[in-house]
Amino acid sequence: MLKKLLFRNQDKKQLGFAAIGALLGMTFLITSAHFLYRINEFGEGSEVLGANILILQRKVTSASTFNLSNNDFTAEEISEIQQQPFVEKVQAVKSNNFRVWLETNSDLVPPFKTDAFIQSIDKEFLDANASNWAWSPESKELPIIMPRDFVVMLNTFMSSAGIPQISDEVATSIPFKLRISGPKGEEWLNARIIGFTNEISALLVPMEFMNYANSKYGENQDGKITQVIIKGKEGQFGSLEKYLNEKGLEPKKAQMIVGRLKSIISTLILIVLVVSIVAVISSVLVLLQYMHLLLSQNRYEVKTLLRIGYSPYYIARHFIQYFSIVFAVSLIAAFGLFFILKWWINKTLQIGGIYLNEDLSIIAVIILPISFLLFVGVGTFSARKNVMQLFNK
Amino acid sequence: MKIVFDHIVPEPLKEYPHAADSLWNNKHVIENGQKVLINAASGKGKTTFTHLLAGLRHDYQGELSFDSAATHTFSVSDWLEIRQTKFSFVFQDLQLFPTLSSEENLLINTRLKGGMPIEKLKEWAAYLGIETKWNTPAGIMSMGQQQRLAILRALSQPFETIVMDEPFSHLDEHNTRLAISLIEERCKELSAGLILTTLDPTDKISVDKEIKL
Repeated sequence: MLKKLLFRNQDKKQLGFAAIGALLGMTFLITSAHFLYRINEFGEGSEVLGANILILQRKVTSASTFNLSNNDFTAEEISEIQQQPFVEKVQAVKSNNFRVWLETNSDLVPPFKTDAFIQSIDKEFLDANASNWAWSPESKELPIIMPRDFVVMLNTFMSSAGIPQISDEVATSIPFKLRISGPKGEEWLNARIIGFTNEISALLVPMEFMNYANSKYGENQDGKITQVIIKGKEGQFGSLEKYLNEKGLEPKKAQMIVGRLKSIISTLILIVLVVSIVAVISSVLVLLQYMHLLLSQNRYEVKTLLRIGYSPYYIARHFIQYFSIVFAVSLIAAFGLFFILKWWINKTLQIGGIYLNEDLSIIAVIILPISFLLFVGVGTFSARKNVMQLFNK
Repeated sequence: MKIVFDHIVPEPLKEYPHAADSLWNNKHVIENGQKVLINAASGKGKTTFTHLLAGLRHDYQGELSFDSAATHTFSVSDWLEIRQTKFSFVFQDLQLFPTLSSEENLLINTRLKGGMPIEKLKEWAAYLGIETKWNTPAGIMSMGQQQRLAILRALSQPFETIVMDEPFSHLDEHNTRLAISLIEERCKELSAGLILTTLDPTDKISVDKEIKL
């Protein structure tokens, strides 16, 4: 009867607009929070380089492009870097002095062959779980770490050829063949991807293999050192950056496609997230404003109920229950819309070669009860305050 | 319930002189179960008096107490208990719900507080001559019919004292007599007191005491 008394004579148009506002705001909020979470974790699990690792090279200038300045690192320079208090370890990144080709070696995936460029770093620069980072001439397989850009490129090739694209997990199970050749001959090796990195744009191989291959097939023993890898000390990256700027060095990380892509997409999603939060707050305010309007339209009824002994909390509860149901319906509909949007965005990213985890993220699930509880909390406070004002009049 | 008015002066009546036997600015006690007539001309504070008892206004000097408890110390739940079980009111502006039918106006009260079964309410409505308006929204009933409905609503709940602010102002003599007999019967049944404010000293209701404003 109270429902009939308080909610029968109302213009539901404004309520409808507020509910649609909440629906759209919540849809974008859940979607953006979910994708911000997924984009940030993209590649994290399979990233094999350890923490605080930087690849350094000299800043590329017009002069260096035309060989008018030198981009190499000398042994003295590497030693100077090593002596800096914020550097735990530094090492030259060794490159190949022979030709390298990589091709797929399985009937299950389409033939793919490419020239490659390989580099090597020590195991201590890798994440602790990269335990199989070793090679000897007796090894059956060469472990390789693949730049993530390569997987994106491979998927773009697959997509254009109408072939199903591959995820990180699938890529690690594909057998590859590596062909190395130089003036002294050539050799075929079985290779397998053991992990991915966003930090280096060449294929990474163990140092033992690089030493072996350079000495056996290389054109000259000691190649030029154009990049060094640094393991910085925890919490001292600020000093490191200052030093790099003074020396005209730049971290390789900033040039990586996936890193930049993640950064750009994350920023865009963050903007959408902020806009969504503003939209949700606005629509919640409109809903609460409508509740106030309804309360003032029913001012006489509420005052009379209070006069005959109805509790202000009981009356406020009726209002908040009514609007909580409206908000809950908007939330459920928003969750449904989010699923459709999630499917569409994942498909769109997959066309571009980016495979995100398609599972429902915990953040998308958590947002629902948090938003609902916040709404009920703010709504209860607001409704009680309004009804109590009438009680005291 | 014992009600004590200890030198109460409502803010709007502060500037006016009050007689030695006036309720205002003097000490008056209404004992439990007493029947009291508050007789005063317009503008003397009859409605203010009713609203003080209902806890609807607190702008006064002096002290009002119910069973020795000062009302200015009352919490929200204290006032709710008073409105639900201690006092039952017939306000001058009736305070009915115009969009609800007679039945709904009665049920919205008895469902909160317990009390009359619906058959008894129908019987009383028939006695007061408004049974044909059982399903009619209160807002389209005549003032006399609305007044009888408001009296019925006040009688339908449990109470220790019924407080009525000019409850017969729109009733003819016959209907006034019927309403008074029903009120007296119900007060007797509950051993309850009665406080009636009126402009018309000829209202035919027997009282223990008359207080002027």
